[in-house]
Amino acid sequence: MKKVLIIFAKELKDTLRDRRSIMLMFVFPIMMIFVIMNLMMTLTRSQERKAEEKVLTVALVKKGNADAFRSFLEKQAHITIKDGLEADKDKIDDMIQKKELDFAVVFGDTFDRDIEERKSGTVELHYKASGENNIAKRRIRDALNEYREDLLARRIEVLNEEYTQLNLDRSFVEPLTVNEKDLSSMKEKLGETVGGFLPYIFVIFCFLGAMYPAIDLAAGEKERATIETLLTSPATRMQIVMGKFLTVTLAGLISAGIAIVALYLAIRQSKEIPRQVLDSIMKIIEFKSIGLLFSLLIPLCVFFAAILLSFSVYARSFKEAQSIITPLNFMVIIPVMIGLFPGIKLNAVTALIPILNVSLATKEIIAGTIQTGLLVEVYLILFALAAASLYFCSRWFNREDVIFRGI
Amino acid sequence: MIKVEGLCKKFKLSRKQKQEMGTGEKTVMAVSDVSFTCRPGRVFTLLGPNGAGKTTTLRMLATMLKPTSGSIEIAGFDTVEEPSKVRGKIGFLTASTALYERLTPNEIIKYYAELHGMDADKFKRRKEELFGLLGIDEFAGRRIGKLSTGMKQKVSIARTMIHDPEVVIFDEPTSGLDVITARSIIQLIRGCKDEGKTVIFSTHIMGEVSLLSDDLAIIHKGKLLFNSTYENFHRQMESRTIEDEFIRIVTGKGGDA
Repeated sequence: MKKVLIIFAKELKDTLRDRRSIMLMFVFPIMMIFVIMNLMMTLTRSQERKAEEKVLTVALVKKGNADAFRSFLEKQAHITIKDGLEADKDKIDDMIQKKELDFAVVFGDTFDRDIEERKSGTVELHYKASGENNIAKRRIRDALNEYREDLLARRIEVLNEEYTQLNLDRSFVEPLTVNEKDLSSMKEKLGETVGGFLPYIFVIFCFLGAMYPAIDLAAGEKERATIETLLTSPATRMQIVMGKFLTVTLAGLISAGIAIVALYLAIRQSKEIPRQVLDSIMKIIEFKSIGLLFSLLIPLCVFFAAILLSFSVYARSFKEAQSIITPLNFMVIIPVMIGLFPGIKLNAVTALIPILNVSLATKEIIAGTIQTGLLVEVYLILFALAAASLYFCSRWFNREDVIFRGI
Repeated sequence: MIKVEGLCKKFKLSRKQKQEMGTGEKTVMAVSDVSFTCRPGRVFTLLGPNGAGKTTTLRMLATMLKPTSGSIEIAGFDTVEEPSKVRGKIGFLTASTALYERLTPNEIIKYYAELHGMDADKFKRRKEELFGLLGIDEFAGRRIGKLSTGMKQKVSIARTMIHDPEVVIFDEPTSGLDVITARSIIQLIRGCKDEGKTVIFSTHIMGEVSLLSDDLAIIHKGKLLFNSTYENFHRQMESRTIEDEFIRIVTGKGGDA
């Protein structure tokens, strides 16, 4: 054990002196998180603002019908009304395609008469759906809704005048009122949103943080021809593997830890998230959940470290190690992404799939809905994988054709 | 003391290697039935062309590779039974063994001393002695990456000798080094011999053979073709120069032409 610690201390020192390792372990996660968070928030905000402030050109096609609507449309901000277009739908559609028009509100020929006869008048809304238009459409809808309310109020008024004893009010035409009561707690909603995002961050940074030291400490050592010297020291192969493996695991954990801290700070400093929401988020994410998350992260990181070291020791050079390991990135990202899909839940089957199970368990831990049985299953799978990969790694370090490949 | 008895090493060939060598064989004998003894206070030279099996033999001595058959005993320990104990007794140096670029000489020497389980007093004494002798003190705190090749080689020597090994193994220690740096290695080998250590070194440079050898073995295609004292080698020479004699033995033809 003492020799393992000697090797571990040396490898750690060596790794921490390497600028590239430091970049990937410390600087990269912090930078990425701040960039991603700020970019995401600024982009969504500016997209919304742009859509709200965009001046919409709206054609009003009414053939003398529904003149009253105009005043409702005018009340909405940033709207240019284009009158006098013929009720030629093809032409209007063509203009929308050419972006000369954003929206067209087309009143049927018989609109006024239908209203008069106490029927339902028909309005067609022509537009092209896009991210921006979907937000802008709200303004047109608001105008239409106000118009509808106005028409309704008038009808009720007329009715009340005709039949004084009726004394109707608005509730007559709305016999059903639905009050929704969502029983999922704030915590559960957070589990869905933050819980999906969080494992994405820490699984990826755990892998990235471990990747470079793993390449450096095995393939790098081969390439720089320092491995022969180490192999002729009294340390056994197992001690060498363990020393290196501990360093790589720690690097992954540090990187993931830094990413999480950076995420916390990025959310804290963000001006876009209202203070109260922020405080409630912080209250919900308990210390216990964070502890649980890290306890999942440790076996995952052991698994990553052992796999990465195995491939790295097989490679002849740094470059070869990189080209073997780069595709592994996708193998890690894909299960995490699957975990982001709505509807995929932690169950006896998904708990068996490594990485995906961590991703799903994280959601549930944050939501506070994790079942002990499933959590135990996730742990068992992760520990079994960690042990198997570590065994595999030590076997490879003991194989002459692997460790002397290329030297 | 090194005792090698009937040593064999078989390597599996990859498909690519088979193609390169133009053979249908699945394995190749890198070392075949090699026996020799190296005694304390003497320098044993393993001479052979490239690919003769020198490095494989020395790697087996240093316990990095396991013999397919045969046995090696170093300082009383069997290399297969007690590899860690063997490694505790040997110093291993090749021209290609490099040092950790991001560490300083001080840190590297301390690292290997710790791996050898040296106690603090002995380490301090030994380090002062070696650093003084090799003149490492002036750059002991600088990172290896910032040192010249000559300086690095000195640190490598200190690294090899820090635990005062009984047996020293040099695998082509001077290849690729300039004359001055190579000279320091020659001096080191002589020094080891004078201290009564068992020294084995491999080379393909004739000059070094005549300069250092007490005992000489010639290896070619994994087999020992000659194994005796250097004096006996001289006595039985049929060619004019050592180089010609070497070629004669290796090719089985007269080397004078």
